[in-house]
Amino acid sequence: MKQSFLNFKIVVILLTIGLTTSCSNDDEPIAPDTDGDAGSGVDSRWITVAGAKMGDSPGDGNGGTLIYSVTSEDAKDPTVQIDPFNNGFVAPSNRTARLQASEDGHTVFNISYAGDTGGNYTKYTVEGGGSFVQTGSEISIAPYVGTAPRWIKLFDGDKTGAAVYVSTEHQVDDNDTPDDVTDDTYLYTNSTIGVVTLDLVDSQINNFQEHVITLSEEESAAGYYISRIDMPVLNATGDKLYIGARVSKVDPSTVESDSGDYEILGSKTIVLDYPSLLNPSVITSTVGNGNTNGYRSINAFLYDGSVYQANQGDPEGSHILKIDADNEYDDSYDFNLDDALGVEGAYILAWRPAANGKAILAYRHEGSEEGLAGAQGFFALVDLNSKTATKIDAIPYDPDFYLFQYQGFVVDGTEIYVTQAPVGQNGNIYIIDTETGEVTKGAQLVNAEGSHFIGVF
Amino acid sequence: MKRLINIIFLVLGLYVQGQETLGTLTGTVRDATGNPLAYASVLIENLKLGVLTNDKGVYTINKLPSGNHRVLVSFLGYGSRSMTIDVNKNHNDIKIDFTLKESLENLDEVTVSGKTEKTALETKGYAVNSIDTKEAGLRSIQTNELLNATVGVKIRQNGGLGSNVQYSLNGLSGRSVSLFIDGIPISIYGSSFSLNSIPPSMIKNIEVYKGVVPAHLSSDAVGGAINIVLHKGSKNNLSASASYGSFNTFQTNFNGTYRLIKSGFTIKASAFHNYSDNDYKIWGRTIVDIAPNGVQTPIVARRFNDAYRSAGGMAQIGFTNVNWADQFLVGVTASDEYNEVQHGTFVTISPYNGRFLESDALLGNIAYQKKDLFTQGLDLNISGVYGKRNRTINDTVAQAYTWAGKRLVGFDGEYHEYTWGSQSENGPTLAKIVRNVSSIRSGLSYKINHNHKILLNHVYSGVDREDSDEMVSLLENTFQQTSDLYKNIVSLSYELNAFDNKFKINAFGKHYIQKVLNTQPVFNDDNTQVINEVYRSDKDYTGYGFAASYILLPTVTLLTSAEKAIRLPSENEVFGDAGDNLLPNLTIQPETSNNLNIGFRLGKFNLNKHGFTLASNFFARNIENRIGLPVNADGLRESDEFVQYTNLGNTAESKGIEAEFLYTYNTNFGFNFNITRMSLTTVNSGIETNVPNVPLFTMNGGLRYSVKDFIQTKSTINLFYNTYYTDEFAFKFAAGTNTTGEEEFFIPEQLSHDFGLSYTFPKRNFVVSLDVKNIFDQAIYDNLSVQKPGRAFYLKLNYTINNF
Repeated sequence: MKQSFLNFKIVVILLTIGLTTSCSNDDEPIAPDTDGDAGSGVDSRWITVAGAKMGDSPGDGNGGTLIYSVTSEDAKDPTVQIDPFNNGFVAPSNRTARLQASEDGHTVFNISYAGDTGGNYTKYTVEGGGSFVQTGSEISIAPYVGTAPRWIKLFDGDKTGAAVYVSTEHQVDDNDTPDDVTDDTYLYTNSTIGVVTLDLVDSQINNFQEHVITLSEEESAAGYYISRIDMPVLNATGDKLYIGARVSKVDPSTVESDSGDYEILGSKTIVLDYPSLLNPSVITSTVGNGNTNGYRSINAFLYDGSVYQANQGDPEGSHILKIDADNEYDDSYDFNLDDALGVEGAYILAWRPAANGKAILAYRHEGSEEGLAGAQGFFALVDLNSKTATKIDAIPYDPDFYLFQYQGFVVDGTEIYVTQAPVGQNGNIYIIDTETGEVTKGAQLVNAEGSHFIGVF
Repeated sequence: MKRLINIIFLVLGLYVQGQETLGTLTGTVRDATGNPLAYASVLIENLKLGVLTNDKGVYTINKLPSGNHRVLVSFLGYGSRSMTIDVNKNHNDIKIDFTLKESLENLDEVTVSGKTEKTALETKGYAVNSIDTKEAGLRSIQTNELLNATVGVKIRQNGGLGSNVQYSLNGLSGRSVSLFIDGIPISIYGSSFSLNSIPPSMIKNIEVYKGVVPAHLSSDAVGGAINIVLHKGSKNNLSASASYGSFNTFQTNFNGTYRLIKSGFTIKASAFHNYSDNDYKIWGRTIVDIAPNGVQTPIVARRFNDAYRSAGGMAQIGFTNVNWADQFLVGVTASDEYNEVQHGTFVTISPYNGRFLESDALLGNIAYQKKDLFTQGLDLNISGVYGKRNRTINDTVAQAYTWAGKRLVGFDGEYHEYTWGSQSENGPTLAKIVRNVSSIRSGLSYKINHNHKILLNHVYSGVDREDSDEMVSLLENTFQQTSDLYKNIVSLSYELNAFDNKFKINAFGKHYIQKVLNTQPVFNDDNTQVINEVYRSDKDYTGYGFAASYILLPTVTLLTSAEKAIRLPSENEVFGDAGDNLLPNLTIQPETSNNLNIGFRLGKFNLNKHGFTLASNFFARNIENRIGLPVNADGLRESDEFVQYTNLGNTAESKGIEAEFLYTYNTNFGFNFNITRMSLTTVNSGIETNVPNVPLFTMNGGLRYSVKDFIQTKSTINLFYNTYYTDEFAFKFAAGTNTTGEEEFFIPEQLSHDFGLSYTFPKRNFVVSLDVKNIFDQAIYDNLSVQKPGRAFYLKLNYTINNF
C-alpha cells in the first residue's frame, strides 16, 4: 500500500511537471476559468466527462464516446455548462470506448474497442476542454486478446493495465461412432483464458499467459462453463490477480445454450499468481450466486486489505462479496443489496469506493421504471464496513435515466463525482461527500438527443 | 400462376403444329458511295415491325408471315426507299440491298425515328443506364470496373480481384440492389459465377436500373437492379482471349456459338479462368510490423494471403430461330472458386494467413423464348435454373502473422499462436454451407396493338440451406438450425404508347411472397431419434410504380419514374453467414422505400462532326426499415468481430442529382463525363446526419481516341484514358459541431487514373490491348479503410472468328 502510494505521488509530480512545461507556451485551454489552476498543485484535478453518442437507437451508446475536461472547480460550479457532444474529443474507438484515467486525472488511457484499430492502446495528456494530446508510442494487445479486449487499469499507481480473453470449446464423446449422433455424450466445456499485462508508462507488453480452465467435474458435466471473464484486480500484497467470471450453461443433451430455468452457481473468481500470471485456480462464494465480470466499469476494488467485488445476475439480488488476504471468499461477509436497500432484484451496474470504505453504487432493481433505453438507474451511498446502503434522494431520477453503460466515478479524497442525465436530456455533475452524505449539484451537462453520459474520469 | 403456365404450355403444344410459313428478310443498306450505313431504319409498314442496321449496314427481319409486305428504308439525313416483297412457301429467305441518297434536308426538322438499343432503353422513362461491354471485352477490364465508371453507380470492393464486392446505386448499397443474370437472381449462381468472375466478353450488356425497376425483372430491391444480359446471339462465332498482368494476374476466356442454318440446331459454350495473387502493396495506420514487446513500426506491406482463382463455364444446346421457338436451350453452368482472405471486415494490425473460402456450383438451366406465340403480339419467355452450390470456410491456423508476412514473435521471444486457435477471432472453423437452389422466371406479354401492351411476370426462387462444421462435434452440428427461403414475386404491368410515340407510360404492380422455414433439430422424448421443429414465417407485401417519358422535341426527352419499392430480407440477412462474419437475424423486416426519379435527356445534337448528349436525373429515396450493416451497431455486442444485418430505426433519405455528358467528334474521338452528388441522411441524435460509410460525391471522366490505319493499313489503334474521383467520406456518424478527433474515421479524397490502348490488326480478328491502372500508384479505398491495388499493368490478346 505504502509503495503504491509513493508511486502514485511520483506519477503525479512527473505529470504535473510535464503538464506545466507543456502548457507554458501553449494556447489557453478551451474551458473557461482554468487560468493555469490545473497545473498549480496536486489539489486540483482534471475532471473528464464522457458522453456516449447514440448509434441507431437512443441510449445504445454506439455512436462513439466523446470526452471533455474541466477543472474540479468548474465541475463543482452549477453555472458552468459542459457540452461534450459538440465540443468534445472523439475517443478513437468504433464502439463505446473503455476509458481509464490516471489517479490524478491528468492522463486518459484508452484501448480502442473493435474496428480497424481495435486493441490499440493510446494515452492522452488532458489539457482541458476537448484538447487531449496523444503521448507515447501506440501499441496493440490485439494479437493476445483480440480486437475487442476487456481491459482495466490495475490499482498499482497507473503502471499496469490488464486485459483478458476467453474462448470455449465443447468436448463431446462420439462413442467411436462418428456418424451416429444418438449415442454421443457431452463431456464438459473447456474455457481457454488469455491474460495480458501491459506497461502503461512505457507502452509495452509485460506478460501474457493462457490457461485452460474447466469447472469442477460435477458442474462441468452438467454443462456449466466460464463464458466470459473481465475486471482483473490485484490483491493487497500484489501477488495475486483476481479475474471476474461469467458462468453459462449448455444443455448436455444437445450442446445448445441452456435457456431454461437452471440453478445459478455460486459466484466465481479466477485467481492467478502475479506478475507471473501462472497457477490458475477458481474460487467460489457460498454467499452470492451469479457473475462477477461486471459490464463496462471496474467491478472489484481493494479496501483495507481485502478485495470487495460486486456480483450481477444474482437471483437474490446483487451482493458485494469479500475476498480476503488468503485469496478465498470470506463467506462470513454477507452484504446483500436487496436487504440493505429494501428493494427486490437489486442489480449493481457500477460502483466505486473511496479510501474510507464508503462507496457510491449505481444500480437498478425490479421496481425501476422501464425507460427509453431500459430499466431506470439509481445511485446509492454504501458503507462496506456497516454493510448498509441508502438511495441518494438528492439526485433526480427520471425514467430515462439509466446506468447500464455507466463507467466513471472520480474519487477525490472522500468526495465522489458522478454524472446524472437522462437519455437525451440535460443533467448535472453531482458531488457526494461520502463522509457526510452531503450532495452538491455541479456543472450542467448539455446532452444531445438519444445520447447519455457514462461518467467522469 | 402455375395453372397459367400449364395453359400456356398446352397452347404452345397446339401452336407448334399449326404454324404458318415464316420468312426472313436480310440485306445491306449503303450510301451512294457504297459505304455501309449503320443504324438505318428498315420497317415493314403493315406489320409495324422495324429493325435498325448494324454497324456494317446489315439488317435482318425474322418471322415474316406469308403475304405482301411494303419495306421502307430510311436514315437521318438521307432520303428513303421502299419496296414491296412477297413472302410465300417458295420464297421465304429474301435478300434485298438498298442504297440511300444523301438528302439536303435541314437536320433540325428531321425526326429521329431510329434509336440504338441503348438509347431506346434509356428513353423509356426509367432511370436506367445500359453499359456496352463490347469495347471493354477486348481490354483487361473487369466487369466491376465498368460498372464503377457508370453514373450513379459505385462499387464497394474489399480489395483486389475476386474480393467481396457490394454495389451502390445512388448511395443505396449492398443488398438494396438486386443483381440478375438474364433476369435470374445472381444469388442462385453463387459467388463463383458472379460479376467478379464473369468476363465482360461473355456479357452482351449490363442494364442498371436506379430506384425504379421494371416489372419484367420482378425484383424486390429498393435501390435498383443490375441485370447482366449474356450474349444471346445465334451467329456462328468463336472468340478467345488471354490476359496477363501485375500481381501475377492471369485471365482467360472462351466463347463460341455454332448454329446449323437448316435445322436451327445451336450449340453455345463459354468458359473462363481467373487467377491473381493479389499481392499488391498497402500501407496506412494499421499496416505495421510488431516487435516482441508490442511496439509497432509502420511499413509498406505486400498482401500475402489474398490469392484468388475462379473457373467456370456455361454450355447450352438447343434450337434458335426455328418456327416453334426463338430460343430453346438446355444447358449447364459450372463454376468453382478459391479465395484467400487477408483480413476481416476491417484491416487490423493482425493480417490473416491461412484463412480461405472455397465455393462451387453446378446448375442446370433451361430457356424458352417465343415472340408472337399463337397470335401476333403475344410473347412468352421462360427460363429456369436448378442446382446445388457449396461453400466452405477454412480457418484452422493458429499462428499469428504480422504485415511483414512473417510470424509474430511474442513478448517472450517465442512465436505467438492465437488463444482462439484461428486467424479470425471466432475460433477454428471448417464451416460448410450446402445450398440447393432453384429459380424459375416466366414472362408473358401481349401487345394489344401499337399503343397498348400488358405484361405478366413471375419469379420464383428457393434456397434450401444446410450448415455443418467439421471442427465441431456431430452432436453440435446435428442441433445446429438450418434454414430454407422461398420467394415468389408476381408482377403485372401495362404499357401505353400515345401521341405518335411521343408519350410512353409503363405502370406496374408487384406482389411479393416470402416463406422462411427455420429448422431446429431436437431429440425425441427418449433420445433415440432427432426430429425437426420448424419455425415458419410467411409474409407478403405489395408494391407499385410507373415510368413515363415524353418526347418534347426530337432532341429533348423528359423522363420520370416512381416506385413504392420493397426489398425482402435475403437469405444471408435472415440467417447470417459465418464466412462473411455475419450473424443471423430471424426477425428482420423488409425494407420499404418511396423512390422518385425526374430527368431529361438532351441530344444527340449533331453539329458538323460534333455530337453532344446530355442526360441528367434528379433522384429522391425515402427508405424505412433500412436493412444495413451498421458499423457501430449493437449486433457487434456479443461476438465482437461479427456484424449483423438489422433494420435501422431511423428513416433514411437520399436526394441527389446525377448527370452525364457525352461528346463525340467524327466517330474517332469521344469524351464522357459523369457526376453524382447526393445526400444520404438519417436523423441521429436529433440532427440530420450523413449515413456513414457512403461516398456522396463521385465523378468519372473518360477519353477515347481512335486512329485508323496506324502502322498497318486497315488497322485501328484505340487510346483510352479514364479518371475516377471520390470525395472524402466518414465511416462513422459525425459527432457535434466543434468536436476533435474525428479524422480517425475519415476516408480521404481519392483520384485515380487509368490508361489503356488496344490495337486491332488489319484482318480485324486479332486485338492486342495494354492497360495501366492507377497510373500514379495512389492509395484508393472502396469500403471502409480497405486499400485497393496500386499501379498495375495488363496485356491482353483477343482472337475472334466470325461466320465460320
